[in-house]
Amino acid sequence: MSNRNILGLGIAGLVALLLPLVVHDQYVLHIAVITFIYVGVTVAWNLMAIGGTLSLGHAAFFGVGAYTVAILYVNLGVNPWVGILAAMVMAAAASMVLAVPLLRLRGPFFTLSSLAFVEVLRLLAIWAVPLTNGSVGITTPPDQGFAFISFENRQPYYFIVLAMVIVVVAFSVWLYNSRIGYHLRAMKTDEEAIRALGVHTNGLKVGTLAVSAAITGAFGAFAALYLFVIEPETQFSMTLYSVQPALNGIIGGMGTIVGPIIGAVLMTPLGEWLRTSFSGVQGLNFMIYGVALIVIVRLMPGGLVDGWKKLRGWMRRGANSNKKDGE
Amino acid sequence: MTFLIQALVAGLLLGGVYALVAVGLNIIFGVVKITNFAHGELVMIAMYFTWFLYTSWSVNPYVSLLIVTPIMFISGVLLQKFILEPMQDSSANMKIFVTLGLSVFLQNFALFLFGGQFRTVTVGWAEQSITVGGVSATYGRVIAFVVAILLVVALFWMMKRTMLGKALGAIAEDRDTARMLGIPVKRYYMVAMGLGAALTGIAGVLIIPFQAAYPLVGAHYTLMAFVVVVLGGLGNMTGALIGGLFLGVIETLTGTYIDPALQQVAVFAVFIVVLIVRPQGIFGGSARNAEVGLK
Repeated sequence: MSNRNILGLGIAGLVALLLPLVVHDQYVLHIAVITFIYVGVTVAWNLMAIGGTLSLGHAAFFGVGAYTVAILYVNLGVNPWVGILAAMVMAAAASMVLAVPLLRLRGPFFTLSSLAFVEVLRLLAIWAVPLTNGSVGITTPPDQGFAFISFENRQPYYFIVLAMVIVVVAFSVWLYNSRIGYHLRAMKTDEEAIRALGVHTNGLKVGTLAVSAAITGAFGAFAALYLFVIEPETQFSMTLYSVQPALNGIIGGMGTIVGPIIGAVLMTPLGEWLRTSFSGVQGLNFMIYGVALIVIVRLMPGGLVDGWKKLRGWMRRGANSNKKDGE
Repeated sequence: MTFLIQALVAGLLLGGVYALVAVGLNIIFGVVKITNFAHGELVMIAMYFTWFLYTSWSVNPYVSLLIVTPIMFISGVLLQKFILEPMQDSSANMKIFVTLGLSVFLQNFALFLFGGQFRTVTVGWAEQSITVGGVSATYGRVIAFVVAILLVVALFWMMKRTMLGKALGAIAEDRDTARMLGIPVKRYYMVAMGLGAALTGIAGVLIIPFQAAYPLVGAHYTLMAFVVVVLGGLGNMTGALIGGLFLGVIETLTGTYIDPALQQVAVFAVFIVVLIVRPQGIFGGSARNAEVGLK
């Protein structure tokens, strides 16, 4: 993580802060809010990817966060700001179910368990009618103002989710460069070696899982308040909140800082655009996603960030060799 | 008592199909070392294919086995040759991404072509029940179970007795040594992938008389097949068979005695418990596990 990258992130954040001054179009702001939600979830997903773990379970944490805030708010009258904190705690607690497979299984099998976990929670959300209102879902009251994170306009949502994104990205930068981050990166390369050096890899894995889940839960809670309707098929949607964050991360560059952000910022508006322009043709947008994933993995296994680096290195070498030829 | 036996029988019948799907996955796993996240989607394709043959040319599903199975075999071979083969030396994660991309593509391709509706195929006689000692089951389910078990046994025999099976076993055991002994590994990878896909094809055809086709139906079979493989031990055919039957029984017992909505939840709970108690699977793991990521 060079200073230049941090500077770039800072500039991007500043531009994002100033955007609503220029753009007043509610639809554009809506796309921006959705994009920020995906940036948040993808960055959270990526925390695990730094350590080499591929999770497809993040829809579970997203859904738990959404349901926590909604149930507390609608059934018990708990303020949504408090609800978001509770959502983080609940998502982290739920993630501990996955700690068992995380420590027992490697690679593909953990990924599969995480996928199965989403299915289980979705079915539980449909089943537990007294708590979740089943497949009908829960509706949160609109237009309650700042104290209840519920507005008529998109601007306030925009600033709240942007603030959340800034905190999460800052945290991710800090973590990546911290001692824990070094351990995570080393664990990705050679788990045995780092364990031999005395690093408690189990604690590292479970801790990262919990933090990643808590962040995802916070964004799930925010999304619940933003969308007003919370129901199992959407909040626990594997395609929307498990596969898509993973795709964003992979396309941008899994395990890097900037990659997941770039992936989410590029892919979310693209996905929304595909969805609305081909709204009559079901499935087309995700067909393109699937193909994009296969192509990216085949041609640029390191994602866009790595592809860009390679391209620059290649151009620089080309320039140097030209110079040599000239001499 | 009859009630319990009825539930057990239903579970075993269901488990036979799981075993069939899981055995295909196990071959792909053991030989090609690919964790095929699109495995259930192959089942789904076979189901739609059978449905299409039935609605367009009124081909009886059991006859369409003769068409669907070879086509699925060829699809598996092509899949290996053009998509998976170039990934052979990549990391486990990269292989996941490719098959995951494939699964996302296939699910949405089905949605694109056929929409989200449930597509059913009705075979009158297959829906009738056979009753033995107060326990009844539909002919369709019985046929699916019997064919699945026969196929699993035939595969067993093939793996132990034929040259093809021995070659596949050798590759599963040690790819590099197999290559040094002159076994054309790449060609056998295609055969293994084709076999795995053909088995999903047969499974898809066998279940369509009692299970509707829809774009996400495969996801369920992918999860079940993986759970079976983890329970039964990687590369272990007996394990896959018993694991499949076991899972079917758990699912049905939960549905009968607790709540049909919680069947999957029970399966996952059992999965977690087995992981805690016996991470190498009920029938023991081996050194092979390390390569595909099972400890």
